[in-house]
Amino acid sequence: MGLLISRGMARRYDAKTTSFSTEGRLMQVEYAIESVNRSTPTLGILTKEGVILAAKKLVLSKLLAQEKMSEKMYLIDDHIICSVCGMSSDALVLVEKGREECQNYFYTFKEPIPVERLVELLSNTIHIPTQYGSSRPFGTSILFAGYDSHSKFQLYCADPSGNYASWKAHVLGINNANGISFLKEEYKDDMSLEEGLKLTLKTMCKTLDATHPKPEDFEIVVVKKDLTGGVQIVPLADKVVQDLIDKSGLVVPEKQQPHTFN
Amino acid sequence: VSTQSTWDIRKYKMSDQYNGAALVGMCGKECVALACDTRLGVQLRTIDTNFNKVFKVNDRTMIGLTGLATDIQTVSAKLHKEEKVYRLEEGETLTASMFANFVSHFLYKQRFAPYIVTPIVAGLDYDSITKEWKPVMAGYDLIGCMDQNNTFAVGGTCSELLYGACESFYKEGMGPDEIFEVISQALLTSMDRDILSGWGANVYILTPTQLITKKLLTRVDQQLFQYSNLLSVKKKKKKKKK
Repeated sequence: MGLLISRGMARRYDAKTTSFSTEGRLMQVEYAIESVNRSTPTLGILTKEGVILAAKKLVLSKLLAQEKMSEKMYLIDDHIICSVCGMSSDALVLVEKGREECQNYFYTFKEPIPVERLVELLSNTIHIPTQYGSSRPFGTSILFAGYDSHSKFQLYCADPSGNYASWKAHVLGINNANGISFLKEEYKDDMSLEEGLKLTLKTMCKTLDATHPKPEDFEIVVVKKDLTGGVQIVPLADKVVQDLIDKSGLVVPEKQQPHTFN
Repeated sequence: VSTQSTWDIRKYKMSDQYNGAALVGMCGKECVALACDTRLGVQLRTIDTNFNKVFKVNDRTMIGLTGLATDIQTVSAKLHKEEKVYRLEEGETLTASMFANFVSHFLYKQRFAPYIVTPIVAGLDYDSITKEWKPVMAGYDLIGCMDQNNTFAVGGTCSELLYGACESFYKEGMGPDEIFEVISQALLTSMDRDILSGWGANVYILTPTQLITKKLLTRVDQQLFQYSNLLSVKKKKKKKKK
């Protein structure tokens, strides 16, 4: 929204990141947000019992050697995980800085970093090229999911403008409007983790317009507490995802589909 | 009463003898052991009797440090931080020999303002060719000269005594039980003769499956009730005759 209006005028002010347009907008930042909106979707949902992050797996080429590590989900610390949307090279710079900052905090205070503090630190990093000259803004939005003893389970989103917000549920990437409107209706504050996972799958399918979801298409990670009370970040195995797909009634079995004859 | 001692004059020149420590590491067959004393003192005055000097780095490695106590705390915290960042970045745990080399590099970075510590890294490396766990034992000086061998490493204020004890007691191919006996004897005999170290000892034995921690009964100057946690034998209370 907004980019269609007075496109001609905006062009004169969009070359440098440090110039405002006549309408008082930073066009480079808005273009960066636009870049994120064209990327593979990722979503996060906060429940009482944990936080769920889901992303569509990026399959660029059959020739790519299988990677051990994910391209969308990155572990920042033992109690924080993030999912990136946008340029993965920009994201990696932030993830590396995030990891360093987490350990610096622990080294100084001997306590795991509060999630909001880490998000704030990274947002400040993201904000720098939007105000100081000659670099372009980061082309990524990042969803952070984590747990700390102060604010329990949390979900944050940091976008290329340097803003961050705390969310109950959020979708990033292509068709995120579909996902967000679906979540506005279906999200409930008191969901259990199981219900949250089903909602995640349904939202993912809504966003992707997927009729036959398969576990290989998604990556789902859950931040929850384990039996001893410590934080556990668990990527769901394919079998578990398949089980959820079956339970959530997303795939209609072929026998029930009516045949139409001309 | 004056509490000044003749050591005060040299306290800044002999920083490695300011707090006192004893540390010994030994290699066995598919196991390594590190033993340290638990005294923290300020020259001749004992401050803490539960100051541990051996830290677990990951499932395959542990590090013991002697020297200036503040540097022991700082270096161990910094090394933990680096190990954690490596684990998050690479997705794999640091192997023992890589960590041993890293410690050397870490100490040399501070070549002209060194950490006054003598670390000993003890760990197990899995050799996928021979399908065996090889022990890794490395001692260093304060600026990172690595001395890697398959026998033992010593550090601390009583290191000369420890060299003698280890040379006599050490033998090749010890198992976890035997290495515990040998390392405890070597540490106790040396530590008891040194005034700056002692007052309790911790022994850590790393095997491929577990890290065994044991506390030793050592000579203490005063058997006060608050030190009863050092004793592995329960105190029997004498019943009063009515």
